[in-house]
Amino acid sequence: MTETVAAPGLSAGTALARPKVRRARIRGKWPVLVLFLPPALLLFTVFVILPMGEAAWYSFYNWNGYGLPTQWIGWKNYELIFRQGAFRNALVNNGLIILVSICIQVPLALWLATMVTKHIKGATFFRLIFFLPYVLADVAAGMIWRFVYDGEFGLVANIYHMMGLNAPFWLADKNAAFSAVLGVIVWKYFGFHMMLFIAGLQAIDKSVLEAADIDGATGWQKFRQVTLPLLGSTVRLSVFFAVIGSLQLFDMIMPLTGGGPSNSTQTLVTFLYSFGVMRMQVGFGSAVGVVLFVICVTLAFSYKRIFMKND
Amino acid sequence: MTDTATNPIDAAKAQTPGRSLRFGTKAYLYTCLIIFAAVVVIPLVTTALGGFKTLGDLRGNAFGLPSTWMVSNYADILFSQRYWLQMGNSLLIAGLTVFLTLAFAAMAAFTFAHVKFFGSQFLLNYFLIGLMFPAATAILPLFIRIRDLGLLDTYWGVVLPQVAFGLGMSILLFRNYFRSLPTELFDAAFVDGAGYLRFFWHISLPLSRPIIATVGIISFVGSWNSYILPLIMLNSESKYPWPLGIMVYRGEFSTDWQLILAFITLTILPTVIVFFAAQKHIIAGLTAGAVK
Amino acid sequence: MAGLELRNVAKNYGTVSVIEGINLSIEDGEFVALVGPSGCGKSTILRMIAGLEDISSGEVAIGNEVVNDLTPRERNIAMVFQSYALYPHMNVYRNMAFNLELAGKPKAEIDSRVRQAAQMLELEPLLDRKPSQLSGGQRQRVAMGRAVVRDPSVFLFDEPLSNLDAKLRVQMRSEIKALHKKVGVTSVYVTHDQVEAMTLADRVVVLNRGVIQQEGSPMELYRQPANLFVAGFIGSPAMNFFEATVTGNTARTAGGEVFTFEPGPKVADGQKVSVGIRPEHLQLGAYGIAGQVSFVEPTGGQTFVTVDVSGLPVVVTVNGEEVVTPGDSVNIMANPRQTYIFDGRTGERVSLN
Ligand SMILES: Nc1ncnc2c1ncn2[C@@H]1O[C@H](COP(=O)(O)OP(=O)(O)OP(=O)(O)O)[C@@H](O)[C@H]1O
Ligand SMILES: [Mg+2]
Repeated sequence: MTETVAAPGLSAGTALARPKVRRARIRGKWPVLVLFLPPALLLFTVFVILPMGEAAWYSFYNWNGYGLPTQWIGWKNYELIFRQGAFRNALVNNGLIILVSICIQVPLALWLATMVTKHIKGATFFRLIFFLPYVLADVAAGMIWRFVYDGEFGLVANIYHMMGLNAPFWLADKNAAFSAVLGVIVWKYFGFHMMLFIAGLQAIDKSVLEAADIDGATGWQKFRQVTLPLLGSTVRLSVFFAVIGSLQLFDMIMPLTGGGPSNSTQTLVTFLYSFGVMRMQVGFGSAVGVVLFVICVTLAFSYKRIFMKND
Repeated sequence: MTDTATNPIDAAKAQTPGRSLRFGTKAYLYTCLIIFAAVVVIPLVTTALGGFKTLGDLRGNAFGLPSTWMVSNYADILFSQRYWLQMGNSLLIAGLTVFLTLAFAAMAAFTFAHVKFFGSQFLLNYFLIGLMFPAATAILPLFIRIRDLGLLDTYWGVVLPQVAFGLGMSILLFRNYFRSLPTELFDAAFVDGAGYLRFFWHISLPLSRPIIATVGIISFVGSWNSYILPLIMLNSESKYPWPLGIMVYRGEFSTDWQLILAFITLTILPTVIVFFAAQKHIIAGLTAGAVK
Repeated sequence: MAGLELRNVAKNYGTVSVIEGINLSIEDGEFVALVGPSGCGKSTILRMIAGLEDISSGEVAIGNEVVNDLTPRERNIAMVFQSYALYPHMNVYRNMAFNLELAGKPKAEIDSRVRQAAQMLELEPLLDRKPSQLSGGQRQRVAMGRAVVRDPSVFLFDEPLSNLDAKLRVQMRSEIKALHKKVGVTSVYVTHDQVEAMTLADRVVVLNRGVIQQEGSPMELYRQPANLFVAGFIGSPAMNFFEATVTGNTARTAGGEVFTFEPGPKVADGQKVSVGIRPEHLQLGAYGIAGQVSFVEPTGGQTFVTVDVSGLPVVVTVNGEEVVTPGDSVNIMANPRQTYIFDGRTGERVSLN
């Protein structure tokens, strides 16, 4: 199934060489253009491109969203953003998420992928279990973990109680809260990365690994010297998704901490929400949006340029 | 993945164990897998069980079975209008989103794949810009636009932006799929005198079931789970999809964890059931977008 | 270097038995070809020797040591895969050096051994290339090189030439033979091409459905096939067969054709048998079995003539100079000493030859 679905997609970059058939006489070229293109084009322009452009425009105003933006304040919103401690927290937190994704989540996903691609009973079952959190809504996952971390009724609290200790409220502790959030992020998303790695592992020619067996490689050497280099593009893809995902993180934070305590768990998007949307600071919020946009585009482009140019 | 039924079995290529694993290796594998499976499953199972407990039970006994099964926690929710209303709202929003995404993306992708026209490559790239940033970046202007269009607090206010942001990926997937269909089909159909419209309807679409499933699953799951757009666009609780509803519910019963857990369980139950029932398609769908 | 011995080696997948108790002993330095139709279990045997596949029962011994429980790593074997299985991310040099690196050999030794092997296989100009930048024949050579740089006790080949075109195959065939002469390592060579097996091997083992049908030198198999299967499998074009009934030293077909042969001890009157005669042992002549030429395939030096004998196609090899045209009425003559008789039930050869 994966094959049939993914395969056509794979040919994306390598533009299929099609014979240049003259199709001038085929009927209905204009009707099809006039009928098929406008709905998508209109929707996309009105709800994606224009808002983005407007965000850039509004970001230079002090505006509460009513009437027309009139109070031009230049770059002040941007200055304000960078002076906010909460924004710096958000930036650092997003960086931390990326770091944890790369240092913990991706290796963990790869490690589990190598295990569930072995021929053991129940491998498929384990795959399903590991993928399950990814399918759940972020909001639900956040909610569930808020319960897990709850200092009175939650699982963590129960463990502490069993040991006769007083349970901490991690999510309310500004030093511990973000670590707790990071744990949930790994829990929620490692299954997705594992699936990427499973696909990558299955694409490796089995006989190459057997050749390594014959050449005398131990399990670790085989992994380090053959499997891992051959998974290079999958690793880069996985990291790419981790980066993009971190920049969008919002739904899960809200039920967990809402960005608190004292803004210690803000991400860029929760920051935008709490300081732009909640306070109806359209100009300021738009400026945050623009910053986020610039970060996304820069990261995506440079990452693709630098690491994925051959993929 | 590899369909062993259609490929001949060859000992040198078969996906079979070859050499079976040593006992030690197996023990190690199962230990690790079971530990991680437990980390994944325990929060879910305790959540579901927690919904059957009393609050006091939860405090001392979060891991175990309920000392008395409080079926009423679940029953009250199941017999409340709010649960069904939220599920209905989510379903409606997701259904509309899927339908519009499929229709618009397939049509646009078809023109990109088959119709030669000036600016086609440029327009395609224009849509692909949408892949680069999340909806959140433009959320405030989007809110203002929806408000000015008078769509605030309507389903359309959520659906249309969702469709718009899903178009980039969907068009890409559709276009690549259309282009991978054999060229002979087109030549044959065009020689037979079919126009583009007929070709789209009678040949492209019927052959596109796999990609329709993929795009459909991606946009359905996205919409079903989405939170930020409804949060900003909807005001009245009667229109809330379940992720919003769950937050409201939590706000109301802030410390009655047993009720909240029951509510969470019931809201994620459809997802879990559908996931296990259609796991192959869902996993394929959700990873297809990634390995594009 | 070491000999190799299979004792009652069997393999089954669940209840499906794929290899049924094979005994085979290969001497130090010997070149043995395993040949048989597709699916007969050749690869399976090879992979059991290599340690890539579990052995369901029986023992594999390399140089007197039973290796059943050893991993491929511990068996010190080299293998050339049908798909070559080159490491796509390593250049030719590292592909060949990998084993030596893993074995912890000193750099200088690795270098000299790789270069020596590269020279032997004419790979020197390609050492920096990745496998994706090589032609099929070159890849094949690298796969060989990877095996040659080592000092293995046994060489295993799994249809190493089947992905090459016909010309290259013939060329590589002689290179493999030359290589074996030079390094003299015990080799097991799997192929479904009987010509390849016959030209390369000191000894050929014919396999069918997981059972050894016969083993022997190429000419033994050709001259004295043990049974119907070997007779039909070895030789090209394949042997002609006729269903017949024995009377004394003759066998008569239902169509009335009579073949004379040299009976062995197990022949009895009235026995149902198959008569087998190779195309090259038949001659067109003035008398003998009558038939009509149905078609003619000239190949240059020889021409294969298919003659219709009572509805049965019989292939006869004749000299390329001879003029035969479809529709001709001809007579076929057979030499009794080159006429094989196989028992109709067991397929065993019962004629003296
Ligand atoms: N995993 C498996 N499960 C069941 N049967 C198998 C399996 N692998 C191989 N077989 C069977 O084992 C037999 C031998 O396979 P093997 O690959 O060794 O044949 P082969 O002689 O190498 O054929 P070929 O010339 O096509 O490579 C085949 O009949 C095949 O169907
Ligand atoms: Mg084989």
